[in-house]
Amino acid sequence: MAVAAPRPMSAEEKKVIFASSLGTVFEWYDFYLYGSLAAIIAKQFFSGLDEGSAFIFALLAFAAGFIVRPFGALVFGRLGDMIGRKYTFLVTILIMGLSTFIVGILPNYASIGAAAPVILIALRMLQGLALGGEYGGAATYVAEHSPQGKRGAYTAWIQTTATLGLFLSLMVILGTRTLIGEEAFADWGWRVPFLVSILLLAVSVYIRLSMNESPAFTKMKAEGKTSKAPLSEAFGQWKNLKIVILALIGLTAGQAVVWYSGQFYALFFLTQALKVDGPTANIMVAISLVIGTPFFIVFGSLSDKIGRKPIILAGCFLAAVTYFPVFTALTKAANPDLAAAQAAAKVTVTADPAECSFQFNPTGTKKFTSSCDIAKQKLASASVSYDNVVAPAGTPAVIKVGETEVLTVVTPEDIAAAKESAEKKLADLNAAETKDAKAIGAATASVKALSGEKTAKDAVFSGKLSAALKAAGYPAKADMAKFDKVTVVIILTYLVLLVTMVYGPIAAMLVEMFPTRIRYTSMSLPYHIGNGWFGGLLPTTAFAIVAQTGNMYNGLWYPIIIAGATVVIGGLFVSETKDVDIYAND
Amino acid sequence: MWKIAVGFAVFAALAIYILSQGGDIDMGGEKHGGDAAHTESPTAAPAQATSEAK
Repeated sequence: MAVAAPRPMSAEEKKVIFASSLGTVFEWYDFYLYGSLAAIIAKQFFSGLDEGSAFIFALLAFAAGFIVRPFGALVFGRLGDMIGRKYTFLVTILIMGLSTFIVGILPNYASIGAAAPVILIALRMLQGLALGGEYGGAATYVAEHSPQGKRGAYTAWIQTTATLGLFLSLMVILGTRTLIGEEAFADWGWRVPFLVSILLLAVSVYIRLSMNESPAFTKMKAEGKTSKAPLSEAFGQWKNLKIVILALIGLTAGQAVVWYSGQFYALFFLTQALKVDGPTANIMVAISLVIGTPFFIVFGSLSDKIGRKPIILAGCFLAAVTYFPVFTALTKAANPDLAAAQAAAKVTVTADPAECSFQFNPTGTKKFTSSCDIAKQKLASASVSYDNVVAPAGTPAVIKVGETEVLTVVTPEDIAAAKESAEKKLADLNAAETKDAKAIGAATASVKALSGEKTAKDAVFSGKLSAALKAAGYPAKADMAKFDKVTVVIILTYLVLLVTMVYGPIAAMLVEMFPTRIRYTSMSLPYHIGNGWFGGLLPTTAFAIVAQTGNMYNGLWYPIIIAGATVVIGGLFVSETKDVDIYAND
Repeated sequence: MWKIAVGFAVFAALAIYILSQGGDIDMGGEKHGGDAAHTESPTAAPAQATSEAK
């Protein structure tokens, strides 16, 4: 295979990469926007819904993320292989951009009632559909413009857009919030980040209109060799379907769980398991991303020299063998008191096994209300390690912290006593000469919770459990005086480096696995199923495993098993592609 | 290449500066329903206060 002589990137190639990457910046900008503004959006659009409607909308929101994207990969992949990369690419960014912008001008539930959440969900569906076609288009378009021997380096630029999209969303949201104030932001300012996206859309469309069609597709079209039925060619023939399945389980599944673990689960673990305050955890993650992001290019370029497969599979292998020690080290560096309490205090949950569920809840619509499930939810959320003890059938669950027993059954007398105590504390705080606004606020919330019919039992049980855990040395929050910033950043950077190993070369490898006539269709589906399903299910699966087993590290088994399976399957059945001539079968 | 490196460094520094000034924000990305259920329970604060009241 002839490899292009080393030469600097041409102006046209730079433009191709820039234009393609702008779309994925958009994709990531949106992804972070919906995360950061979730509470405000829920309040604006879903707060007036009754329980039944809220259930349906929760399922639809789940579908927008998990089902519509792979479907979009099929729809736009097919178009991309039939009418061309450039126009498909233009359609996906227009749908994505306009959907985002319209959210910014959409009236809320208070103005137009149930039509507001219906339109919002419809826009999310459209966005999901377009997103399904965006990444495959960007990867294919850039790769088909890249010289042989440079595809890894060129396509790796697309992967850096995840960090750029995050930083852009942070700047727009926080900038707006700081400028107009929290109250105005919650009222109307949340619309600004959606409206601003029109600028990004205008630039993207302008540049994409001036681009040429991919040379490989142009040649194929001129020769009349384009596929008439890309879907049946890609998935209806075992020869190609086999490669699609291998791309999924031998590459993208492992890549996705390593990516989710390294960025999102690490952040979730810091804030929810290790009880580090949100702003500190965010800064730590952002610094590690800044250090790690250039390595997308490093590993993409390296894959042109030593191969894609060894780098991607080494990233998955390192993740599988080092996650347990690395996350244990993260606990010791971020919250040493928690590590000490876990080692010292023995906690057990004695429950009837028939009452205990595997709390897997991907749609967020299930309710786990048995005494065993509630006990385990509370302990898992408090990052408590515990052993399970079998109780006779029909016995309500009991938590034992050291020698202290916490019953899950709460009597009206318990509620009355707790309420009296909380009211006395509130009265004392109000009577004090120096008013402590924070303490008064917490005491008022406590009295309110103890007065509510639905919340009183939970408040009493949670209060008793918190007191028992506090006595056993479990910290309610990480002690920032003991927080080792340097070690935390080093650990997080290591996790991001694993992400760059698996993600840097992935676009080039996926592109090289399939022929030009069905490339867009074939590579988009395994990418979106891998990242959407294997990656997207990580948080809820990890939580269910933690709650089931009573060990806050056991959630890591999910990415470890998937990454391990990718190492074995990818290692045995996926061929190296760096020297493949992607035009050989055109 | 050096221009991109400098541009990225400036952009990242600005983002981290704004992040350090701007307070709390969820950087966990879009949730699809189930994920949201695993974040800290809204009753956690009252529960803490209840335990402290004892």
